[in-house]
Amino acid sequence: MPRRRSATWFVSWCGLIAVLFVIYLPLVPPILFSVTPAEPGGMLTLQWYLALWRDPVLVSAIGTSLEVGIVVAAAATILGLGAAMAIRSLRVPRFVLALMLLPLFVPGVSMGLATALFFRLAGFEVSFAKIAIVQTAWALPFATLIVVTAMSTFDPVYLEAAYVSGAGRWRAFVDVELPLIRSGISGAATFSLILSFNETIRTAVVQGPLNTVQTYIWSTYKQVGLSPALYALMSLLILLTVALVAAFVVGGARTSPAASGVNPRGR
Amino acid sequence: MNSLSIWTRRDFVRIGLASAGAASAWAAIPGTARAAGGTVNFADIGVGDPGGDWSLFTKAANGWNVNLVAIGNAPSAILNVLVAGGGTASYDVINIVGGMQKPLVDNDLIEPLDTTRLPAWSRDRNIAEFLGKGTPGFNFIGYQDKLYGVPTVLQGDSFAFLPEKTGPLDSYAALFDPKFKGYVALEDNYTTAGQKTALYLKHANLAKIENPADMTPEELKTVVDFLVEQKRKGQFRVIWSSFQQAVDLIVNKEVYVIDCWEPMVFVAKSKGVNAVYADPKEGYLLWAMAAYLTKNPKRSAEATQAAYALLDFMLGGWYGAKITLLRGYMTNTDAPDYAKAHPDQFPAEGAEKVAAITANVHRKFAQGGTWQNRWPKHVDVYETEWARFKAA
Amino acid sequence: MLRRLLARWAFPALPIGFAVVFVVLPLALTIAVSFWTRVGLVVRPAFTFTSYEAFFAGARLLVFERSFLASIEATVLGLLLAYPIAYFLAFKVSPRAARTVLLLFTVPFLVNYIIRAFAWTWLLGRTGLINTLLMASGLTNEPLDWLLYSDVAVLIGLVTSYMPFMIFPLWLSLSGIDRRLIQASWMLGAPPARTFLRVTLPLSLPGVFAASIFAFVGCFGESAIPVIMGGVGYQMMGNSIASAMDVLNYPLAAAISTVVLAAMMSLLLVWYLAFDARAFLGMILRPGK
Repeated sequence: MPRRRSATWFVSWCGLIAVLFVIYLPLVPPILFSVTPAEPGGMLTLQWYLALWRDPVLVSAIGTSLEVGIVVAAAATILGLGAAMAIRSLRVPRFVLALMLLPLFVPGVSMGLATALFFRLAGFEVSFAKIAIVQTAWALPFATLIVVTAMSTFDPVYLEAAYVSGAGRWRAFVDVELPLIRSGISGAATFSLILSFNETIRTAVVQGPLNTVQTYIWSTYKQVGLSPALYALMSLLILLTVALVAAFVVGGARTSPAASGVNPRGR
Repeated sequence: MNSLSIWTRRDFVRIGLASAGAASAWAAIPGTARAAGGTVNFADIGVGDPGGDWSLFTKAANGWNVNLVAIGNAPSAILNVLVAGGGTASYDVINIVGGMQKPLVDNDLIEPLDTTRLPAWSRDRNIAEFLGKGTPGFNFIGYQDKLYGVPTVLQGDSFAFLPEKTGPLDSYAALFDPKFKGYVALEDNYTTAGQKTALYLKHANLAKIENPADMTPEELKTVVDFLVEQKRKGQFRVIWSSFQQAVDLIVNKEVYVIDCWEPMVFVAKSKGVNAVYADPKEGYLLWAMAAYLTKNPKRSAEATQAAYALLDFMLGGWYGAKITLLRGYMTNTDAPDYAKAHPDQFPAEGAEKVAAITANVHRKFAQGGTWQNRWPKHVDVYETEWARFKAA
Repeated sequence: MLRRLLARWAFPALPIGFAVVFVVLPLALTIAVSFWTRVGLVVRPAFTFTSYEAFFAGARLLVFERSFLASIEATVLGLLLAYPIAYFLAFKVSPRAARTVLLLFTVPFLVNYIIRAFAWTWLLGRTGLINTLLMASGLTNEPLDWLLYSDVAVLIGLVTSYMPFMIFPLWLSLSGIDRRLIQASWMLGAPPARTFLRVTLPLSLPGVFAASIFAFVGCFGESAIPVIMGGVGYQMMGNSIASAMDVLNYPLAAAISTVVLAAMMSLLLVWYLAFDARAFLGMILRPGK
């Protein structure tokens, strides 16, 4: 399908960049505040980027958030994949889907409290695991729905073809289905990570002696105000991810089979 | 040829087992054991953090460390975490705004204090002067005649204004002055903004209110009706619910008169904005923060001793001076002298600031006003009426 | 035989087990508590509707309506913006460029939502960037008050917060559509608009479903944007529930949560009834089911 480099194409790109601009606008203040000097009228300074690492609470919070984020991204994606497959194989797809979407419909503070009470009654007190579980429960519906969306355009006839050619269930899944729903899987992982990085209310109830960056921000913004060190942390995060995206673009990431022309869907 | 075909089922199983093993290893590390040696778990709302440096405490307490966990101050946040989140086991000391002892004690979450284990207790003259038994101040550290908390912060609230835009102001009437329509902000808190409004209405004879600190449902309805009328007239720009929001409102000059806490004025001044904290003729809203010992029968005797050491440390000069300097609140009476006597730890202007803040807040307490009541008898009605104000 | 059955069903059963244990059970607890009664400050098991009555009779119902309306507005607006973007990325742009743009859309969301909300207040305030530019360029004489602490501000905050959550699933389902179906439609003589309406749009419904759910439930549960950017006393359900918990009124908090849950499930039910399952599950359903 030839790409029409017409006026509409050009205007569309402009519109897209305009939207991106609006979405990126709220990133400007944190970056600005992270280099503002302590006294007004001074020079721009990088001192906050150093002060950030000297705050023990913040450093431990960063560690916990990173660890939890990775665990949640992995767990929610894998469970989401399993849920999507359950929707496919069980005879009650709409029921299973409704079940998996349940956490979305319950307000966060209630869910956090109820789950915490549940842990208490069960005598389970390992804080890191509790945080990971409540966040995975929150991210799971998103991950499931994304994988379901990806699978919705995957015709199971390809799996049948694989079986006919002699592949086992596992081989058929890994070689035939997985490459075509890869965007869905990586999307589910990315969104689970984003959700974990922003999850505050449920985590705050079960955090125990651990701090996460989100609960730290929530507590300090309410009682003592955001510190420039926090803005520095956010700016570092922005720079890091933008650098990763740049590396992806420049380095020429592995092209997925879908883009290499092997896609049977004709693109 | 797709690149995933080089992976076999065995690879996936191995990866799966490895991650499960790693995950369970992570989960098995109890949160507190991350620090070496004994650790006191200290839940704090952010005000009590002396900048991360607990070395003086560790030296005085035989090597015990402090693990500070930042929590929210809303009663729901605190109770949720203590009741459901296993907080009495995960925290040893919690440092929050006082006045909540009733639900805490009724739910068996905190322990009465043994002041014989706190040598610094008798040195803090604020306790005898303002927080004695039988006075409203006692409600911030005790309950039913028993002592539960160590006062860590004391403060008297009023409101702030930008003198260049409003001229000098000396009464809460400014919050409701039509001259400043649309340029006023209140705090989203019925025990501060609500109580200050009641104080004003009583002094201005606009409503019959016996005790602004503990209103009857009818009195409360009058106050909220007044506020709803003001809101409908467009008097308020916003109702703020966080320190950051209030500071931004002042620093950005979004509002000219704002019911807020004094530290916000300090921050605004440090950013070059001329804001003044008012001295209203109706008086101040007085309150205190207190540190409580959570009730945990399984805590070891050494851990309890370390927790008491922390409580004692917080009544001491170094901690008090540090918190006064960082946050702008009055702490204990040892703080100004300590700061002056230790120029290596507190530079001269820091010590002056500590002395100035302490003297100023002391003056406010001497003048009086009304003690904030965080748990009035009809707190349910307070909450419902305030919801009505917000939804109007 | 049993081992093979186990191996086949273990993987799909795991998430269901997880959901039942960590979601359904706590949820059942919440619903149970909503019927309990409150004596003074102590909660006692009982079966009464007092909490529900308190909810429907009071100001909290207004909060519910407002949350509902704001969420619908944000979702519809978000879809109107996100769909064309997703369409453009799926059909008119190279896959590499599309992936890059999608990644770019997710970068801002690693920044905490509270910090982003405050950034918006800094931009939209009376002395903020936008008002300063407007006045400096002479377009207005006075700062625009309605940019902040208003319904408009909340809408801006909500839509910009959920854009990537909407663009991605839409792109996912649009890019997975078999191009040969579209080509077939052309070959049969349908003009582009008709092809879009009869072929592309229906096949993209799974993405629309996912995007709408993400946006709607996300907005409904927002607790920071309403209080940071909203007008005087603007709040949504999350704030209302926390406020009830502040006075230990757990039955009321549970009742509010149950009402929210019931409302959402009804919406899902409406969607289920209005659309055939194939419409939003696509080819996950085996033919003939």
